[in-house]
Amino acid sequence: MRRLLIALGFGILASGADAEQLVTQVSSEEVAITSSFAGQTLTLFGTIAPEAGSEQKFVEGPYHVVVTVTGPLQRRVARKMTNAFGVWINTEQAVYEEFPSFYQVLSDAKLDTITNPVTLAETAIPLDSPSIGKTSAPYPQSQLFRGELVKLMERKGLYRLNEQGVIFRSDTFYFAQVVLPSDAPPGPYIAHTYLFKDGEIIARKTNGFSVRKIGFERFLGLASRQQPLLYGLVCVVLALFTGWLGGVVFRR
Amino acid sequence: MQVYLPIAELSMNLFFLVGIGGAVGFLSGLFGVGGGFLLTPLLIFSGVPSSVAVASVTGQVVAASTSGALSYYRRGQIDLHLSIYLVLSSILGSFLGVWIFGVLRALGQLDLFISLGFLILLGFVGTLMMVEAVRSILKRRAGIVVREKLPNQHNWFHGLPFRVRFKKSRLYISVVPVLLLGFCIGVVGALLGIGGGFILVPALVYLLRVPGNMVIGTSLLQVVAMMAATTILHAVTSQSVDIILAFCLMVGGTVGAQFGASAGKYLRGEQLRALLALLVLAVAIRFGVSLVIPPSNPFSMAVMGIGGAI
Repeated sequence: MRRLLIALGFGILASGADAEQLVTQVSSEEVAITSSFAGQTLTLFGTIAPEAGSEQKFVEGPYHVVVTVTGPLQRRVARKMTNAFGVWINTEQAVYEEFPSFYQVLSDAKLDTITNPVTLAETAIPLDSPSIGKTSAPYPQSQLFRGELVKLMERKGLYRLNEQGVIFRSDTFYFAQVVLPSDAPPGPYIAHTYLFKDGEIIARKTNGFSVRKIGFERFLGLASRQQPLLYGLVCVVLALFTGWLGGVVFRR
Repeated sequence: MQVYLPIAELSMNLFFLVGIGGAVGFLSGLFGVGGGFLLTPLLIFSGVPSSVAVASVTGQVVAASTSGALSYYRRGQIDLHLSIYLVLSSILGSFLGVWIFGVLRALGQLDLFISLGFLILLGFVGTLMMVEAVRSILKRRAGIVVREKLPNQHNWFHGLPFRVRFKKSRLYISVVPVLLLGFCIGVVGALLGIGGGFILVPALVYLLRVPGNMVIGTSLLQVVAMMAATTILHAVTSQSVDIILAFCLMVGGTVGAQFGASAGKYLRGEQLRALLALLVLAVAIRFGVSLVIPPSNPFSMAVMGIGGAI
């Protein structure tokens, strides 16, 4: 604890000399899922400015920005099929707690040119960082299944590394576009923005936004959880009515 | 036009959903079956999670069978007495089916079981139907007049204890095979999201010897009642009934079924049965192949537990 405080103290001292801060914003803080929701593109933008109260009047680059967007955490399982008696069945599995349902990394250059692997690992930026999701599976298996899980999520468009995702409009103003697919899970999303200079993180900022069903979709989602019996009955009545109506309309 | 499915939590093309509902409805109207055995696999192949597909199709089957059941009821072609026995036992069966469904889902073997179930069931029924249909087509070609088996020809299990008189079907048989049949169809229907019409119709004809004019109506009523119960059970236990998905399928299905029923008048009974057998076998083969050929990716994933945030 003390060591951390000292480190922090040095950090503040060190950044006092030439301190930058990030001023960031998300284009919309709430993404509404309506009946015609087919995904949405969000823009995260920000500017690099001198720290408030510092002597500096301007900041000098070159800067690199990395943005990560993390979706709501889920309990997810990866399963592996093997051939048993000529039939392919799921035999092995690894369960991951607190596994992000959505994870995208955007940067303005290749990650390994921005910083060194140690910093990347510490900040858990790469898609297959070992700190993504907790599992009780033993070591080699836990890594293997996590890697496969990430690949599957990438294929679904929920995980993505986009090394041209952050675009600088001037030396200090950038923006990044995140594509939420139509099956992006509802819930809280967190966007972390890291500002790199000479391979070191010199500022970071966190923004949040939420994806939620609204109106009728929200009502249905809630009803199916809170009043499942009533919901089921309504489904049946709707089905009986539709069937009856079909018979009446088409009766000759 | 995309429509968001709030329980499946993804959006799909509205016209695609109504379209497959209509196409399957057409076939179900043509053959007098619910169509669940086609719709569930179609939805799974197009990306709907299998638990949502199975649970939502049960709702669609209710709608597809209702209009048929009503018109048979108006014509007096339903044996209500027999239906009560079938419905009650199949609802009991569907309790067991929904419970097994939940256990398999937790174990991660639901997809395997659905594939295996469809393969065995459809393969078996499809082969039987094919053999029967081809035989009667050949006989008709050869000019042999096929004499329908009389309803009072009994099997050994008709003589089991607890005999009941079913007036409309002119049967005096033991209720044990009736209850067993209902129970099995309840289990299978809940597990695979199918009404079981294509099992019940041959079973009523060949096993219980129910007269031909009562078979379809009685089977349809049984499907409506059982699938209604299964829909509610799925809604309560797995909470995976997507009402929007079910409704899109229903709209397509009821319209398609009407056209299918009128198209069915232009085909002879055994030709219809041969075509249905072909269809059933094709689905069975599709499932069989997916079990045996090496998957392109042996890894798969799933979210555990019921949903996240709303």
